Amino acid sequence: METLQSILSVHPFFNDLPTQHIETVTGCVSNVRFKAGDVIFHEGEEADHFYLIREGKVALRIHSERRGPLTILTLGEGDILGWSWLFPPYRWKFSARAIEETRAFAADGKCLREKAERDHDLGYELLKRFAHVVEERLEATRLQLLNVYQDQ
Amino acid sequence: METLTLERILEEHPLFRGMNEQHLRTLVESATVVRFEPGDVIFEEGEPAHHFYLIRTGKVALQLVSYRVEPFTLMTLEQGDIIGWSWLFPPYRWKFTARALDLIRAISLDGRSVCAKCNEDHDLGYELMKRFAQIIENRVEALSVHLVAVEK
Repeated sequence: METLQSILSVHPFFNDLPTQHIETVTGCVSNVRFKAGDVIFHEGEEADHFYLIREGKVALRIHSERRGPLTILTLGEGDILGWSWLFPPYRWKFSARAIEETRAFAADGKCLREKAERDHDLGYELLKRFAHVVEERLEATRLQLLNVYQDQ
Repeated sequence: METLTLERILEEHPLFRGMNEQHLRTLVESATVVRFEPGDVIFEEGEPAHHFYLIRTGKVALQLVSYRVEPFTLMTLEQGDIIGWSWLFPPYRWKFTARALDLIRAISLDGRSVCAKCNEDHDLGYELMKRFAQIIENRVEALSVHLVAVEK
């Protein structure tokens, strides 16, 4: 049987992460499942987890005063969902809703923050990866914005 | 004398608040004083990105410029702010254009040298990544708000 640790170790996000760090991270991770239509997290609420999507599709949405919820990105297998657990005020800036049945690993953000704070080798590796995830999100949003401008 | 002055400048910059003296001394080795005239392009979208800047005085417009698209200013940055994070990730090219709106006095840090230092010293790497992940996150938020405002 595949262990949680062996599944995590082949996830692209943890590529090249030393085994002892994978072990540490595994201690903060659990299996979760969402039905189509489930809200995974809600803008403004406390952000205490992030998710590695194993299967399914998730819409990342932001609320517009004028037009209600707008999907800014759709995430799927292999993607990382959520980084607001990293920074004060630890509140979600977006909402996430499963648009298909979704299986994911949920990592406890507080548990990881404490471990990263104690072990900066782990902390550096994790932060480097998350900074990159956030940067990729920035790039996706930038391209989307350029599309909107070019269509106008 | 110059080194001492630079160290003091870094120490007082909000980015480095709470950083220990040894880390500051390490970073000073990658820092240079720079100055831009009003209207100067500090860096340009698509060009190789090897630096980041701590603004000491003046205002800088972070712009999205693309052919077929009128430049628009995502945000205006000023004293105490940081510009530039593309030096952190491949392909190491600027995703935005930074333009000086006034006379700018800034400190430029060499990204490759800072990266090498972070890889050698994960305590420093952890502290710096924590800060940069948050800066990038802040830009994603600004961009998303903008996207919501312009999308039809």
